[in-house]
Amino acid sequence: MRMSLGGYLLAETGKSIWRNKLSSFLSCGTTALALFLLGVAFIVRLNLGFTLEVVQQQMEVQAYLQRELCDSDCAAVFEAVQAMPGVAEVTYVSKADALEQMKEWFQDKSAVLDGLGEDNPLPASIRVTMTDISLIPGLVEEIRLLEGIDDVQYQDEAAARLQSLGAISQAVSLGGMVIVGLVAIMVIGNSIKLTIDAKRHEIAIMKLVGATDEFIVGPFILTGVVLGVLGGVLGASFAIGLYTWVASAVQAAVPFVPVLNLTLETGKDMLIVMLSTGVVVGVLGSTISIRRYLRV
Amino acid sequence: MIRMKGVSKVYEAGVTALDQVNLEIKKGEFVFVVGPSGAGKSTLIKLLYCQETASAGQVLVGGKDLSGMRRREIPHLRRKIGVVFQDFKLLNDRTVAENVAFALFVTGAARRDTQKRVAQVLATVGLSDRQRAYPNQLSGGEQQRVAMARALVRNPELLLADEPTGNLDPKTSVEIFKLMERANVYGTTIVVATHARHIVDSMRKRVVEIRDGSVVRDDRRGAYNR
Repeated sequence: MRMSLGGYLLAETGKSIWRNKLSSFLSCGTTALALFLLGVAFIVRLNLGFTLEVVQQQMEVQAYLQRELCDSDCAAVFEAVQAMPGVAEVTYVSKADALEQMKEWFQDKSAVLDGLGEDNPLPASIRVTMTDISLIPGLVEEIRLLEGIDDVQYQDEAAARLQSLGAISQAVSLGGMVIVGLVAIMVIGNSIKLTIDAKRHEIAIMKLVGATDEFIVGPFILTGVVLGVLGGVLGASFAIGLYTWVASAVQAAVPFVPVLNLTLETGKDMLIVMLSTGVVVGVLGSTISIRRYLRV
Repeated sequence: MIRMKGVSKVYEAGVTALDQVNLEIKKGEFVFVVGPSGAGKSTLIKLLYCQETASAGQVLVGGKDLSGMRRREIPHLRRKIGVVFQDFKLLNDRTVAENVAFALFVTGAARRDTQKRVAQVLATVGLSDRQRAYPNQLSGGEQQRVAMARALVRNPELLLADEPTGNLDPKTSVEIFKLMERANVYGTTIVVATHARHIVDSMRKRVVEIRDGSVVRDDRRGAYNR
């Protein structure tokens, strides 16, 4: 024999994958599907975290002041809010500021608003950002009790919905991943069982001449790992490809929705988890068949 | 080398293959195991290389008790034993040289030593010119010589053969037994289960006869029949 142990392992692994092309392909395919679903779950989670962060940063409580309030009253409200616990930043938006902002939003159509110059109908407001998003409901209640407040608004429902939507889609894709993952383990196991069946005679001879179980089993385990990792790479590529496509479509259609840009930095954990899941699926698949069929 | 004390083997189907066998074979002996088909000869050989385990009694090979042997230890025992079968048991997708080298390769032997040793042993069995041939390109006698080379390549302490010439013509059979005799001269203990009456009669070695799972005869320089 002109090869080393490593060469032998690789050659045997290559042979066993090539001999059972169809079942190897199926093994890779199902693993890829399982890991694709895992990838989707991951991306959903990453995006959700990102969106929540963005929303949290943007989430501010807007307290509209009564229109007839004088400047000193306004200042008193401002100070009262500033003193409340958990408040990060408070900005005062005067009537004139509010109008300016509205003009900015309308941009080229801002001429419509020119007529409002003297009789500005917009109320002055106080905008509050919090150190912790969970403190918002309490703050809102407190502000409502202040003298001179007309209305208090914040986007609590948006955040809650976002959270439950994310949880549901994550549960669905993780559940799908578990089911398809189990199928993948069985398909890989079957693929390796075929190889073992074909090599029964050879395995018996190897045992006869004193090969250890590890020596005999090595190529089968490696075959499982290779199939699992190939499936992992395939699944990850599909998930990333699909996401990139969807993300750019979303970005083009609704530019103000925050979408996470998938880079090596943000996707690193995902890649590690996906590839190691591929390895685990491969090892489990091959170990199952080896245990069942290697008693020669 | 080998000691069997009160060894019985009952297969799962309830068939008793060996019944209270006592046998001692010293290092360097050449022993024929004879008897009718189904007498228990193959089972006796199988117990010696751990293909089967005894249902009762004690089997010692090279001082090691096989009944208490752990699964992990079996390969290491087999590396000290060469085994030859009636159906050769060669790897058909590997060449003659690769088949022989395989026995060294699985033990992790160095590549350079392997090549040298394989060439040596192939010369011994007279197959130097067939190194690159595949088993199915060889005659039965040549295939059995490859199996002999594989069994001998590690200089085993013990060579077991189960009907090694069952598929061979008388002339080729004599060649195989000559190879065994030669290995025996170099110190390898030989145990052969065989039906080759003319060879047993001509070689005049120790003969152990088994009938219905029991040793019925043990002659120091025996013949095939009593």
